[in-house]
Amino acid sequence: MSIAPSDILIGMLSTTIQLSPFYLFAGMGEIVSEKSGVANLGLEGIMLLSLVATFIVDYMTGNPWVALLGAIGVAGVIGALFAFTAIQMRVDQIASGLAIYLFGLGLSFVVFTTVYPSGLTPNYIPLPPLVANYDKIPYIGIIFLKQNILAYVSIVFVVATAFFLSRTSLGLRVRAVGENPKAADNMGVNVNKVRFLATLFGALMFGVSGFYFAGNFVPGFQTDVIAGRGFIVLAMIYFANWKPYRALFAALSFNLVYAAQNEYVSLSGFGVASVSTLFNMLPYVFLLALIPVFGRKARVPKFLLKPYRKG
Amino acid sequence: MRTDTQGLRWLTTTAYNVLAIGLGILAGLLVVVYAGGNIEVALSSLFLNPITLSGGIQQIFVRFVLFYTMGMGVGLALKAGLWNIGAQGQLLIGMVMVFVVYTFLAFLPWPILYVAMIIGAALGGLLWIAVPTILRVRFGANEIVVTILLNVVAINFAFYMLSGPIKSSGTALGFPHSVNLPALFQIPRIVSSAPITYAVPATIAIGIILYLLVERTSFRIKANTVGESLETARFAGISIPRVMAITMLAAGALAGLAGATYLMGYRYELDIGSFSTNYGLVAIICALVGRKHMLGIGFASFFFAYMTIGAESMALSANVPTYVEFAMEGIMMLGILLGNYLTERRFAV
Repeated sequence: MSIAPSDILIGMLSTTIQLSPFYLFAGMGEIVSEKSGVANLGLEGIMLLSLVATFIVDYMTGNPWVALLGAIGVAGVIGALFAFTAIQMRVDQIASGLAIYLFGLGLSFVVFTTVYPSGLTPNYIPLPPLVANYDKIPYIGIIFLKQNILAYVSIVFVVATAFFLSRTSLGLRVRAVGENPKAADNMGVNVNKVRFLATLFGALMFGVSGFYFAGNFVPGFQTDVIAGRGFIVLAMIYFANWKPYRALFAALSFNLVYAAQNEYVSLSGFGVASVSTLFNMLPYVFLLALIPVFGRKARVPKFLLKPYRKG
Repeated sequence: MRTDTQGLRWLTTTAYNVLAIGLGILAGLLVVVYAGGNIEVALSSLFLNPITLSGGIQQIFVRFVLFYTMGMGVGLALKAGLWNIGAQGQLLIGMVMVFVVYTFLAFLPWPILYVAMIIGAALGGLLWIAVPTILRVRFGANEIVVTILLNVVAINFAFYMLSGPIKSSGTALGFPHSVNLPALFQIPRIVSSAPITYAVPATIAIGIILYLLVERTSFRIKANTVGESLETARFAGISIPRVMAITMLAAGALAGLAGATYLMGYRYELDIGSFSTNYGLVAIICALVGRKHMLGIGFASFFFAYMTIGAESMALSANVPTYVEFAMEGIMMLGILLGNYLTERRFAV
């Protein structure tokens, strides 16, 4: 069995482009949320619930777009609950985020097995690829045209988030309530309202990520199926210093390393699983190694994790 | 110094905690009833099965030891304002280390090897948390992010070790697993008729020692000051890196130790079934419910040990996946946090 080097490269790039949007949607959501001073550690719990909603609604309606709405809707409800406890009730964000994670981890699987007692995921109708017969076009077909439209929307979201935070007045308010809520309050900004909206936006983005996960990662639903990938977004944002374009770089490079080790492992066909799992660590170690290099200059939003109380 | 308001405050907090736990249980019951379970069976499974079912009491104490050992570490770091989300990863490394020492230092005579396995586990957890500790103290990198990342790395690393260096030659259904620890290397029961091992009194002893070392000395104030405000700590001349390093490294060592007591006292072999548990997160709940107090965490751990086994038994009684316990724990945790807020607001001056 011999595979042309160019095919390997194409496979790697295709995987990178396919997987990155999951991290980008959630990443943009978490950036906006954290810029306003609220870190949502419940993101993976929200994603799991959205993922289950995706499978159920997709099966019921046969329309992936309706499933996307379902995923976002579920994320919005849980996100609003989190925002309410973390902002209005001033509960510790990390603790309540972990509570939301546990809640989502448990409930997602319970709902799934209740709806599908066999434990098998029903036929899932994914979003179509951008171009139907993409494999007719060499190189760019598999790398770019095979992806669904959301992959491109995710790039638009990166640009839009960067523009929103740096160029719009609402974006300025989001940053202000995260950097200096007191001053923002004095300027007439409703601190907790802006935070609530930013946090809710973040949660909706986790919903999109949960939806995107369905067609592009693991086929079907299992317990703990996202397996920490949601939490990785927190590390990407941190490395990216809360800058959208840098987060794009983080997501692409992380997935490129992932795709490279994945190709290597599947090509070398290790008889024993042992060495391949060692390679599976690579993308995470890569991300970890970036932190002391770039994280030194990290400028954490000053009032991140700190609830605000008027007066 | 105990005044009437303090008593009332304690009562209010307790009432809210009970309410939150009740809500979590109610949610679990709803799921079970919805799935067609009998409510009486569900309730008796939840409250009675942990003590009436065979092996139930053993399970309670196994989890109590796990949650308490890890929870103390989480609580200790929390006192200094540091979140160890990585207790799960440190636990896993501790478990791997038990077999690494057992396999590669097998030439040591029995009592030394026995002790080395326990120390190796604690050391493994300590080394694993050393990474976020150094990054935090030297580079100011956020410990939450790094401990979360290392959880994923720990699972992959453990999987590698299990399918290679510490793999048993025999296979069970094709899944890799370690050898079974012979009786000489197991933690013995105190009385052969009762399913409680020496790990239980040892853990309680560690709890009391830490209580004396932490709660009854100036270290508590130092750690709390670091946790409350770095500026105040700096002003007070407290060595922040030292406090951070001590609490974090102790947290990792304790979680690693929990891996040793779990394997040597109960499971005796390592397989992938031990990988994706969420004991590390339950330990965080125990630390919060126990209000970061070295003895309080013990009571919280006992409660959650009992509750999680009851919840699993309840789920099984109606063919509901045991994962329902996580949803219940999430509700309880959120409720307890909200209760704390409401108490504070009520008694705010």
